[in-house]
This record gives sequence, structure tokens and C-alpha cells, in this order.
Amino acid sequence: MTKTLDPHESPNERSVDNGRRSFFFKLGAGVSTALASTAAIAAPGGADDPALRLALLEEERALRKLHEAFERALDGGAYDEVVEMFAEDAEVVFNNGVFAHRSRGISRLYRERFRAGKTGRRIEPAPGFELDAERRQDRVVVSADRQSAEAVFPYSIQVGTPIETETSLADMARLHGDGVRTWWEGGVYRVSYRKDAVDGRWRIARLEYDTLARADYRPGRTYALPITVAPISTTYPQDPQGADALVRNV
Amino acid sequence: MPMRIPMHRYKYTKLTPEQIGRALRATENGPTSVSPFTNALTGRTLKIVTKDGPVLEYSFGSNRRLTLSENGGPSVSAGYGELTLNRIVFFSHMIPGEQKGYNVVIDQDTNLATVFEVWMSSGIVQNAGTPNEFTLDDREVQRQIYFGYVDVGQEPPERLHHYTNRIAGKGLYWKQDTGIETLEFYASVANTNFVELTRHVDNLSWVAPSDYVLVDDHTFVYDRTEVEFSGIHTCFVADLFKCEQVGVRLGFNENDELEYYMFRGAGRVVGQLAYLEPFDEHGIVPLFAQQNPNPPKGARVTYRPVRTFRWMSDEEVHAAAERRTAAFQSGPSGVPQVVPSGHNLPFSDILVGKEFTLRFDHGGPVRDYRVKDKFKLEYRDHSENVWREVDYRAYEGDDNLAWFSHILPESKPRASVQVAVDFTNGLATSIESHMGTPYYGNETTYRAVFGVVEMDGIEPPLYERHQFTDELVGHAFSWSYSDQLTSMHLYTTPHSMSWTIFTANQTMGSQWCSPCIYVKLRDGVYLFCQNEEACNGAQMIALINTKISHDCGFSFRGGADGVTLSTTGGIGRHIGKFETREFFGPKRGVQA
Repeated sequence: MTKTLDPHESPNERSVDNGRRSFFFKLGAGVSTALASTAAIAAPGGADDPALRLALLEEERALRKLHEAFERALDGGAYDEVVEMFAEDAEVVFNNGVFAHRSRGISRLYRERFRAGKTGRRIEPAPGFELDAERRQDRVVVSADRQSAEAVFPYSIQVGTPIETETSLADMARLHGDGVRTWWEGGVYRVSYRKDAVDGRWRIARLEYDTLARADYRPGRTYALPITVAPISTTYPQDPQGADALVRNV
Repeated sequence: MPMRIPMHRYKYTKLTPEQIGRALRATENGPTSVSPFTNALTGRTLKIVTKDGPVLEYSFGSNRRLTLSENGGPSVSAGYGELTLNRIVFFSHMIPGEQKGYNVVIDQDTNLATVFEVWMSSGIVQNAGTPNEFTLDDREVQRQIYFGYVDVGQEPPERLHHYTNRIAGKGLYWKQDTGIETLEFYASVANTNFVELTRHVDNLSWVAPSDYVLVDDHTFVYDRTEVEFSGIHTCFVADLFKCEQVGVRLGFNENDELEYYMFRGAGRVVGQLAYLEPFDEHGIVPLFAQQNPNPPKGARVTYRPVRTFRWMSDEEVHAAAERRTAAFQSGPSGVPQVVPSGHNLPFSDILVGKEFTLRFDHGGPVRDYRVKDKFKLEYRDHSENVWREVDYRAYEGDDNLAWFSHILPESKPRASVQVAVDFTNGLATSIESHMGTPYYGNETTYRAVFGVVEMDGIEPPLYERHQFTDELVGHAFSWSYSDQLTSMHLYTTPHSMSWTIFTANQTMGSQWCSPCIYVKLRDGVYLFCQNEEACNGAQMIALINTKISHDCGFSFRGGADGVTLSTTGGIGRHIGKFETREFFGPKRGVQA
């Protein structure tokens, strides 16, 4: 049976800007100096505490490194490494599908769906589809107790799906790692992090691919055309690579 | 006697390791050769150091025997053969008691060496852990290539021989001192399309995985192994200035006879296809190592389609056809396809409003057609005298030339027709297709029948007909069915072709082959039909219009999910041409 999320819990509504928790630390992309938010002033300890500011900067740096490692692993097709960056009870929202639990849905998403589609490789934005300056900003917000954080990072990746044909062509192409229909997707990652209670390391608790544009484009081509990609509409196990739930029925 | 059964239909014996081991005892004295062996290595000792491979220490006696120590191990004695080509020495030997040996190429000027380790009874498992797991045939010769140098106390050279794409697209005719003649089209960096001009009666072309190694700008080392066929291995070094070769052939032929001989050969370049990879791509990394930087020993990119092709009986296929016979239903819910997908030509209403009769020669079918709609027509076959309404799709393949297809309902075995009607010249050709071959119920059989169209205003000719042609032979076209799926067709011989899949950077990669037919409709306009035999059984029937570099047509197939007729077509690029037509046609009885 297909499960759907309550629309009021749609990923966009749970984004960083609409977060329920109080945060007191925000950084813009490339900004090395901490900027205290309104929430920061209200937080225990306050942003004026130099020790806390330093500690938060360290956490923010760690989270950025984690995200860099995440993108690097995706870029290199190291999907096993990607999966290990999630908390066991994490979830990922990708193209209308909700993939739950590291060892189940998230493993299925990255190790099977992404691997089969050669998805996740960083590519330049399709010409004419570049994110505006505001969307290109990344943002990391660490909670006052330094046990959780939320972030927004822009992404520009290749997404794909295996080509199915009645002839031998796709099978033959797959012999040398091809046979995949690919396109470009750009948007922002909306990420929630949680510090692991056992080893104290940051883990991804929730990640949403908030896709803003898709285009028929591959690096080197001089033009790009907008495309529509059918949202994931089938859940696991009906689809062996399917989602555990759908954001909305389609 | 030359072979008559096509290689992909031949039931090669599953030789056991014991049978192979017994047969290989004959190799202990080294290979034979029609040409006299050379003696460049007689009395010499060589230490060959290879990168990521063995250190081979050789001592060559005067009696065509050598001793070999691998990696400092005990010495073994073996017979060997040696042939030189210019400054290149090529020698080959097997190791007694083992099912392995070495083919070694040494450039005596540079002291660089390329070493082929060859072995049988590999036990290599493919698709391990999947439902398609299988073990390679023991008779299939494996190879591992090592690049190295002869250690004469010098500093190790910075540059060794290396894999190359410089041979890609080249075609050569070779004639060995054995009298064996071949056409070899190196239309991929990982495969060869080859035609056995003397070993096989039908001049069909075959595909075998290959390696290409660059020695210098006019010298290369090459091998191919006829995997999925006899498993036999051919390896040679060639000089393209003189178009000469020396090499070795090792393995079991179709009669399970061991062939282990060296040869000299001479030939000529018959053409060059364009290669489309980036100009700064030199093919240094072989295809088998591009996805896995540490490939297992013996790795190669090899298409083995019959290993996963499930055999079905005629009855099984027909039962499936009764459950589902679908024409032009491309959508996930069987939605009729009204717009062509990818780069196909648009569907045409060229037949709408026409009533005509197609009459094919020599007692062939006669069918009346009434067409009122772009996607549905009525036809009456004179053999049953019943009007039937069927779905069809048509293209205008050339000016006033219709090209359409439909299922023959209730047929057993399930059948379809692909019909070209030239309303200007009054000619018609039908490809009569049906499910089933003597080998698989889920393959298709096709034949071309030629005739005329009878219609008001057309005076059909009495004698002139469309006809089979060899005009496409030697030509290569890439066909882009979509922006992300392109195949190069090489029309190798009058009765066969190969297709090659491009890699992401447009290097020509995996390859396979099949018999086919070619029909000429008009100057520059042809029908091409092939079935992916011993592969997946799907039939492609395309009209090729070289004037617009486009093809369009149909795909007919059947299997457990029923029988389907669908459309296909792509944008073409002419990739080049081999001048080979002189090699084909009946030879016996022809005066020299």
C-alpha cells in the first residue's frame, strides 16, 4: 500500500526558514565571520560568549566538511560512503519519494537507484538554468545545545535512469558504464543534522532534494532544454528501487 | 573444408580441462610455422621486467628450445617459435604441464616489450552472485597484457608500449602464409569485426574482443579471442608501412582440433572510419579498466548475449502472442504511440485516402489495402479473402515512397509485414516477418518479397523490381535514436553487419554482429533488415535514406510478454567506408 506524507509535513514546510527550533547562529556562503541572529541573542549563553562562539564555529566547520565529504562521495560514485553519513533513522526526500532508514530506504536510494542512474555527479549548471544569487547561498544553523543543526546547500548534479530498450543497445552500453539516460538537476539540499549520542559525530538526520530546475543537458553541450521528470510514484517493494512513502500521490 | 554453420549457431564442444591439458601436450615443442622461423634470439639470454606483471628470465638455445624462470622461480624448458618483423621479434611458447604460455613482442631498438600471458581453463566466473552467473568456457583462451622492457642494466624506461585508439576505425585485408584470408575491421577500441574469407563459406562477419597496443606510429600489436565461439586466440604484430604481420594462433577450432602455429602475413588497408572521441583522448586506458582501475586478471569488455537469452519454444511464444500482441503501444499502459519518440522521422499520412493492391512475385502474397486513417488501415490477403482492420504506422521514407508496417492478426506463428511502396515507380517490397527460427521460438524469421503496386494512375513495371544490393557494404553510419543512445552500424558484408555502442566520450566500445539483408529501393534509399540472432531475437527493419542521413522503421520481437511491433529510427552520420566489395560473391570456379 502506498504511504503518503501529511502535506503539512511536506519537506518544504519543514525547511530551515520555517524551523520550529530556536537557532542562534547563521552563516552565509563564504562568510567566515559569525553573524548572530535574533535567536542567538535569546539563546542561553548568548552569542557574546566567545567560547560558545568558537565552539559553534567549530561545529559549523565540521558540518561543512561533512557536506563536502557527502558531495565528494556522491561525485565519485562512492555510494556506500554516502549511506554511512546518515543516522540510522534518517530519511531522504528525493523526487517525491521518501526513503527511510539508513540500512533500508536510504541504502536502496543510493546503492541501487543512484548507482544504476549514475546520479549525484557534480556538473556545472545547465546554461540558462543557473541558480540566482540568493539560491546559491548556503547556510548552516547550529542549535544552541550543539546537538542538532540545519543547513541549506545549493546543488548542481547529474541525475539519470537506466535506458530500457527491446534491443541489445542498452545492455551493451552498460558493459562500459553507459546505457543511462542522464539530465541535469539544480536546487538546494535542505539538511537536518544530528549529533550521534554514541560517538559524538554529526550524522544526516534528514535530507531533502529541493529541486528547482531540470534540464536536458550534459557538460560540453552548448544548449539546454527544460524537461519534466515523472515523480516517483511507486513504493517499495512493488518497485525494488522504490520509496518507502510518497510525498504526494501521483 | 570451410565452415558452413554460422559461428553463433555452432555448438562448440564444452571441452574439459583434462581434454584441453591432453591436447596441449602437443605444444611442448612449440608452435609450427609455414614460414621459416627466425633466429634472432638464438643463444641469447633475456630478462624481461614488466610493470605490474612477472619478471621473465629467458635463455634461448640453438635447438628452438628455451628455458624460462618466472619471478625467479625454477627454470622450465619449452619449445618456442620466433618470427621477426623489421626490428621486432615476436616469439611464442607454452609452458609444459600447464595450460598457459606467453607471446612476447620485443622491439630490439628500444628494448621495450609487450608480453601476453595466455591461458585456458580459467574458471573465471561472470556476474558472480547474480541469477545470470556463469563460468567461462575452459576452451576460451584468456589473455593478460603486461608492458615492460628488456633489462640490460639501463635505467627503466619512462615510457612503455601502451594501449591505443590509433588503430580504431581502420580496416585491413590480411593473407597469411597459411593461405588464410581475413578482413579485419578494427571498428572499436575493444573489439574486432572480422570476416573469414577462406574459413567460412558465407563471408559473414563476426565480433571478437580485442586489444590494441601501440609500438610506434606504424607498428602495433593486436589480439582477438573468439569468445562465445571457438575461444581461439589470434595475436600479431603488424607494420602498417609495409602492411605485414607476424603472429600466432592458439586454441581449438570448430572441430576441436588444437591450432598452435605462427604465421607471416601481408595485406593492405581497405579503409578508415572516422573516430569521434575527443582529440585529446588517446585510448591509453583500455575499456575494461575505465570502470574499475584494478580490473581482475583477464578482464575484457565482452558482450555475451546468448548467456542470458532464455530459450522459448514456438508454442510458448505463440501462447504468449495469444495473450498479448501489441502494435505501436509504447506507453506504460499500452497507450498507442501517435508521436514518434527520440529522433525518429515523423509518422506520415501518405497512405490516407489510397486504395491499392500489392502483388508480389513468384506466388508471393497479394494484398488489397484501403486506408482512410493515419493509424488504422484495412487489408485483405487474397489467401483468406477477409478484410481486416489493423493498427499501422507509416513514414514517407522518400518522395512519394511509403514505408509502413502492421501485424497480421490471428497468424500462427505471429507475423507482421514491413512494406515499402513506391507510388512513383509502381514498385513494392515487403519484409515478411514471423516469430520463430529453427533455433529459438523467440527469434524472428524474415524474408524480402518483391512486386508491384496496382492503383489507379500507376502503370506498374513488368520486369523492373526492387532488389537485393551490396551498395551499402563497407559503409558505416552512426544512428542516434535519441541524444543518449547511439549505435554505429557497419555494413560489413552482403549478408551481415555489426553494431557498435559508443562510450560516453564517443569512443567506439562494445560490439556485436548479425546476418542481415539489404534491398535497394532507389538511389540512396535502402531497406535494411537484421535480427539479433542468438542475442535477444529482436528484429530491426529500417529504411535508410542516405540523402537525408536518416533511418526510420520498425522493431518486431516476441517473448514471454507477448509479441510487439514498434517503431524506431535515428539521425545518421556517415562514419566512413571500407573498400571491400571485391572480396565478396561466389569465388569457387573463378579464374585466377
